[in-house]
Amino acid sequence: MPRLEQLAELTGHEDRVWCAQWHPTKPILATCSGDKTVRIWQSTNPQDPTKWQCTNVLEGGHKRTIRSVAWSPDGRQLATGSFDATTGIWERDEDENGDFECVATLEGHENETKSIAWSKSGALLATCSRDKSVWIWEVEEDNDFECLSVLQEHTQDVKMVAWHPNEELLASASYDDTIKIWRDDDDDWYCADTLHGHDSTVWAIDFDPSGERLVSASADQTLKIWRRYHPGNPEGIITPRRGEPVWKCVATVAGQHDRCIYSVSWSKVHGVVASAGADNTIRLFEATPSTAGAASSDVIASTNEPGTLFDVHLLISVQSAHGTNDINSVAWYPNEEHGDWLASGGDDGSVRIWRFLKD
Amino acid sequence: MTTLINQNPIIYEASANNSTREWREDEDLEDSVDLIDAQEIFDLIRSISDPEHPLSLEQLNVTQRDHIQVSDENNSVLVEFTPTIPHCSMATLIGLCIRVRLLRCLPARFKVDISVRKGTHQSEHAVNKQLNDKERVAAALENSHLLEVVNQCLATATSGGVVANIVKGPAIAN
Repeated sequence: MPRLEQLAELTGHEDRVWCAQWHPTKPILATCSGDKTVRIWQSTNPQDPTKWQCTNVLEGGHKRTIRSVAWSPDGRQLATGSFDATTGIWERDEDENGDFECVATLEGHENETKSIAWSKSGALLATCSRDKSVWIWEVEEDNDFECLSVLQEHTQDVKMVAWHPNEELLASASYDDTIKIWRDDDDDWYCADTLHGHDSTVWAIDFDPSGERLVSASADQTLKIWRRYHPGNPEGIITPRRGEPVWKCVATVAGQHDRCIYSVSWSKVHGVVASAGADNTIRLFEATPSTAGAASSDVIASTNEPGTLFDVHLLISVQSAHGTNDINSVAWYPNEEHGDWLASGGDDGSVRIWRFLKD
Repeated sequence: MTTLINQNPIIYEASANNSTREWREDEDLEDSVDLIDAQEIFDLIRSISDPEHPLSLEQLNVTQRDHIQVSDENNSVLVEFTPTIPHCSMATLIGLCIRVRLLRCLPARFKVDISVRKGTHQSEHAVNKQLNDKERVAAALENSHLLEVVNQCLATATSGGVVANIVKGPAIAN
């Protein structure tokens, strides 16, 4: 029987927690809030995962809600995206218990910054905003960030940006109900594909470990799984634009969440998908290869594209994960060391650490 | 404001009877386990001022008790409101005032959905989408100018309904 057990409840934020993000290599969590601060939480005892402490509070850096946080891939910097339209870049003093200081402020968006993300190599940073644009920044020496491109093809707010786990390919999710895929041709960034299908705002997206599938979460209360088809693919899916792969929706998970889904995280360790939102519930799903003829009571979606045979199973549903409050963010631990840990942040101002037990 | 969006609104009678419930003299609010119902929600929002006219939402028939659905057990509230004219640009602001009023007065457990009554506004989908986008609402309320306008509309909100009816406790255990 799969279980999701709560290891710890971390309190301290004085307003809703919008986003929780794990450090890439250490058991350290960064969370941000409507209280305009970022809190850094650290595991105090490797033997006891229920013991955490808040080691830093980053305040004074933003004048409004901090909506998202993201660690750089080398874990040395932390980016913060705020409703004040700026993105802050923070570094920690010398050792691990030093204070964080803001070493750069990225300006340019016309209104609230919603999401920020570092590419896998750490060479690029993407930001997005209610101003409908996605900005790509190049990370240079001496904490200089140069804007490479301002991408203005969404017709409404851009809620989230997420980089491919391996390539320099970006996905963005929008209030215009679509997801866009962005690539570059020698620093010339363009929209390679637009994914239609959701009936309302797409709040969150995440890639699977291989980067060949994408999951999206929407205000239409569904999750969709999209698969990339390369030119010349064996399934015979047409790729109209020369050299450009296309993304197609291969499964829709409906009838599970009954209110807006705000966050989704696809574990890069074990492939389980976690989703959460305004129905106060965290759900864990798995997409496994279909076995022909096998009836399964927990299959909640099947694929609808030729050549892609997998079933989506609901593993666990945790009601009232943050009491009667919305959950705004879920994030799987990024590596094998604690791959069974999931962090969540909610409207109750708390951050919770969970452990997934498969059986 | 030079030109009003709606120069000649129709004015309706506000009902003199504030609540249909009868109170026992010895009833102690602390012990009372009243469920929150449509009347309570209506009492909270009926006296919100219209942004343009010195009249309440009730007087302009923007809000009506019958256009409110509540399930205390499911922690859900649905409020539909009717803008005075189909191209009313104040619709989003009115919806925001209703949302803020309920945010401040209802127990946190309630999920509130607000929408324009079907067929009463030419941009009803766009207005509804904005009013129910939590992030947009949160960002809007950090705008001090907008917040001031909202607070002005809400300044009259307690003058109508009987606010003391609301019990801000946890839901009754099943």
